[in-house]
Formats: sequence, C-alpha cells, structure tokens
Amino acid sequence: MTPDQDPVPTRPDDRRPTPADVRAVAFTAAGMLHPGYDAADVEKFRALVADELARSAAERERLRAQVRALEGQLAGVVPPEPPSEQAVRILAVAQQTADQYVAEAEDFSRQMTSDARAQHQEQLRAARESAGAIIQAAHEAAARMVSSGDAPPVAEDADPERAREEVAYLKAFGQAVRVQLRSYLEALITDVETEWGQASPAAARQAPVRTPAQRAEGAPTGPLNVVAEVPPPDSAEPGRAGSDGVEVSGRRR
Amino acid sequence: MDIPAMRKSFAKAAAHGDDAPLWFYSHLFLTHPETRDLFPVSMAHQRDRLFAALGDVVHYVDDVDRLVPMLQQLGRDHRKFGTVAAHYPAVGASLLATLEHFDDDWDDDLATSWTEAYGVVADVMVEAAEKAADEPPWWDADVVAHERRTVDVAVLQVVPRERFEHVPGQSVSLETQLRPRLWRYYSIANAPRPDGVLELHVKARDGGPVSTALVRSATVGHVLRFGPPMGRLALDPESDRDLLLVAGGTGLAPLKAVVDQVARQGPLRRVDLVVGARTEDAFYDREDLQRLEQAHSWLTVTLAVSEDPGSSLEQGVAGEVAARHGPWTSREVLVAGPGVMVDDTAARLLRDGVRQERIRTEVFAPSRPGPDVDGEVRE
Repeated sequence: MTPDQDPVPTRPDDRRPTPADVRAVAFTAAGMLHPGYDAADVEKFRALVADELARSAAERERLRAQVRALEGQLAGVVPPEPPSEQAVRILAVAQQTADQYVAEAEDFSRQMTSDARAQHQEQLRAARESAGAIIQAAHEAAARMVSSGDAPPVAEDADPERAREEVAYLKAFGQAVRVQLRSYLEALITDVETEWGQASPAAARQAPVRTPAQRAEGAPTGPLNVVAEVPPPDSAEPGRAGSDGVEVSGRRR
Repeated sequence: MDIPAMRKSFAKAAAHGDDAPLWFYSHLFLTHPETRDLFPVSMAHQRDRLFAALGDVVHYVDDVDRLVPMLQQLGRDHRKFGTVAAHYPAVGASLLATLEHFDDDWDDDLATSWTEAYGVVADVMVEAAEKAADEPPWWDADVVAHERRTVDVAVLQVVPRERFEHVPGQSVSLETQLRPRLWRYYSIANAPRPDGVLELHVKARDGGPVSTALVRSATVGHVLRFGPPMGRLALDPESDRDLLLVAGGTGLAPLKAVVDQVARQGPLRRVDLVVGARTEDAFYDREDLQRLEQAHSWLTVTLAVSEDPGSSLEQGVAGEVAARHGPWTSREVLVAGPGVMVDDTAARLLRDGVRQERIRTEVFAPSRPGPDVDGEVRE
C-alpha cells in the first residue's frame, strides 16, 4: 500500500499519540475520486501499531524505574571535580617550600662535613710535621753527641793540672785505638788474601793462612770481634756496615 | 596521532622549565592523594627526571625499536616503587591537564593524540611489569652487621628475606626508611653465599642524604629495600684469563666480589688486586684483604697511597702503581672507582699496550649533588 495520505489526523504537538489514540482514530471516508485503503489492512496495521506503542511505553517505564534505582545507589559517590587552578597553585608553592627546606638542610650538612674533614686533615698534617720535626731534632742531637762523644767535656775553668791530665788521657786513648786498629786491619788483610787465594787456586798457598786471632787461639775459627765485616771487592753482597761497634759473626771456613 | 603537533605542545610545556613538572605533580597529588606516598619529600630531582624521561619518549616516539626496550625497562623498574597498573590512568590524566594548562592552542585533536600516545606507552610498561611478575618487585633485607671502618666508610652485612641472585660485580639500588623513597646504587662486595649474606661498602658523601644515613644512623636490625640487581661489570664466564683488578675508594666492592667468585667457583687463576687511597688510614678493608691474600696463593694485593709521603706503602695513584707492576697485556682488567681515577688508570694501561676490549670499568660517583638553595641542580 502506498502511504500517500497521512492516516493520522493532526493533533497539537505537545500530545504524543497513545495506543488508545491509535485504536480510536476515525478516518474520514474516502471519496469516489480518491482511491482509499483496504479497510481490513488498515485495521490490522492499526492494531499492530497500537500494540507496539504500548509495548514501548511499558519498556520505557521499566527503564526509567531502573535508572532511578541506579541513581539512588550512586547518590553516596561524588565524582571528583577537576582541581581548580588555585588549588594546584597552592600545592605547588607548598612543594617548593618543602624542597627549599630540604635543600638548605643538605647544603648545611655538606658544608659541615667538608669543613670538618678539611680541619681533620689539616690537624693530621700539622701533627705529622711536628712529629717529623721532633724526630729530626732527635737525630741531629744524637749525631752531635756521637761526633763529640769521644772527647770528654772540656771544663770552662782552665785548670792546668786538669788539662795536663786530660791531654795524657787523650794520648793514651789515641795509642790504644791505633793498636786496636792496626791489629784489626792486619786481620782483615789476611782475610782478604785468603779469600783471593781461594778465588784463584793457582796463586793460593798450600796451607790456609791463619789470622793473628786464629794463631793466638790455635783453632781454625773466623775473625771475631770485628767492628764491621767488610765484604771482598768482588762480592755481590751489599755491604753490611755495622754501626757503633755492633758485633757481627764472621764466616766460618 | 599527530606527532609534530604533540611535539610542539610538549615543547611549549618544557619551555616553562621546572614549572611544568611542578604543575603536573601538584595536579596528580590533588586528584589522587594516595600517590603522594610513592614519592620522596623533596621533589626537585624527581621533577627533572620525569620531564627528561618524557622528553626522551616524545623524541623517540616514532623510533619504536629504540623506544620499546626503554619503556619495558622503565616498566620493570617501576615495580620496586610500588607502581601498579591502576596508577597509569591517573598519571595520564594529570599529564594531559598539564599540557593543556601550558598550551593556549590546546584543542580536542591534541587531547586525542596525546591520550592515544600515552595509552600505548602505559600498555608497554604495564605489560613489561606483568611479564616480570615471577620475581618479587623488591626484596626486604635485614642489616645483620654494621661496622664503621673509617670516619666516612661503613661496611654493612645484609640478608635479604627472599632468595636474591646476583652476578659478582653487579650492584643493586636500595632504599632505607630513614630517607624514604630515595634510591641509591651500591655494589655487592661478595659472590652469592649459602647463607645469603651480602656485603655492602658505603661511603658517606658530603650532604648526601642516603649515604650519611647508612653510615651514621643505620644499625643492626634495620631493614633496607632492594631493587633487582643490575650492572655489567662482571667476569667473562668463557674465559679463565689471569686478572688485574684496580680499585679506588669504594670501587673495591665489586672487585672484591670478583675475587670471592674466583675463590668460590673458580676457575683458579692469578689475580692481582691494586687498591689505591689518598692516605694509609683511608684503607677501610685492609684486614680482610690481608686475610684473603694469606688464604689464597693466587691472589696478590698491593696497596697504594697517593698523598701520604710518610707511609711505607707504595707511593702513587692506583693506576700509576698498577702500571709499574706491569706488563698486563695478557690479563683481563677490571677498574672501579671515582671517575678521575678510572680514566687515568685506563689511559695508562692502554698506553702500556693492554687491549681496549680487555678493560672494563665502572665509575663510582655521588648520585647527585644536592640542589642548592635556589632549587637549581647543578651537575
């Protein structure tokens, strides 16, 4: 069927057609000149539309009720509003204040520790220097004492008798030292000759030469009581120079 | 996604310097106050880091091969901070609000582009975090021993509560509740042991919040929080070459771990360890090193002092002394310590003919200089 006629009569816009309206509408009879619809078709369709409208209205009511129920559930939950610019700005300033405090605290801590460390190192350095100076002074004093230790302290008041006694003492002392030195050197020379002799067997003497000490004791022992052991010239050993009369045991042959 | 427009809008925000991340975080903490606990009290350094990271992302947004691994690593790392998937939308919302605030030409298209881009980033990070879910996000570790060896240096022994596997030479980022939410890296000074004890060498930096707390305030029973182990300074498992290890300051820690590895797992080889310090009393681990040297015939330890003429130890900086005992051309070389010392040592060894690929280094430096009172962070 061709819907070239509006079957529903016009109504005021604010009133929506209800199913009852659809069922109750009275169509004007078609004239001879205008062909109309088959009445049975129209009745059938009208019933269809009325049912559909009723069903839609019922569904709408149901949904409305459901929405109301859900809204009631959400009533307690407030969706968060986006924060205002002022609020964000206030929080930003607060954060900056906190950052400032922390930065100051860290800066203070850094200065304190680096100052403390610098002071500590300075004190250590000064202590080391003064300890070094004390040790140095002690060495010098010892050296001075050693170099002037042989001579007895000369009295300020020049007592001629005293002076003569001292001179005699010094002479005797010098003599004793010379004797000791000579016998030591002789022993050394003999020692050296013996060593040299061993190094070149062709030039060696048949019997081992004994040092004065050995001859005195009559036993083949090495030189004893030497002030220092002087290594032979071709020896690779580093010289062990005893100081201040340290006794060093000689080599046994 | 209109990438050029996005880059433009980001540049506008970045042009405001510190104000943009400051706005971002203030917005985030207002809309989601529960996120404030994830961050430290002082945010100056955090702000720098965030916008630097964002800048990188924006810069590489069309270089997927570069961007994705970066984001995956970030996503995994963020687990130790307690970040969960639910945080990402909150951050995205605040990011958009910040960009909008600083851009007068903000429009819906930009909002859509940015939302899309951020969604991709967040997805990659969350997925990477979930993939790493078979290991714990962090490890709680109890301090079982704390020895103050010198004025500045302490040696801590800690035991993680869950199994913690590391490769000798690696370091770990850790946090202490004395200075919440500040993470610092320290090298582990031993190889994995049956009792699980880890040794840490901590030097208190001037003004450094975490290191000073660890040296001066931490005690036995204190609890630290560890992230996953990381770092590349490790022995080549394929090689059994002899080793030269040169350490300055607390750079001794990873090298001591390597010595421990050779002792525990082998293969045995000759190891020469040169440790440098300014003065003789700055050697904080001398006793233990001597014990190790006596216990192991393959280990030789040389101590070097650079500013202590009265000491009987060898004089010179660590690199100088190491080079003196050379040549080391057949050895694998590991160097760890302050930047100047590492560079000097490497230069000397290269000059003496050691091959570049045989030298591996790690620089130990303060995590950051503190911000000064103007809030400026100077490198």
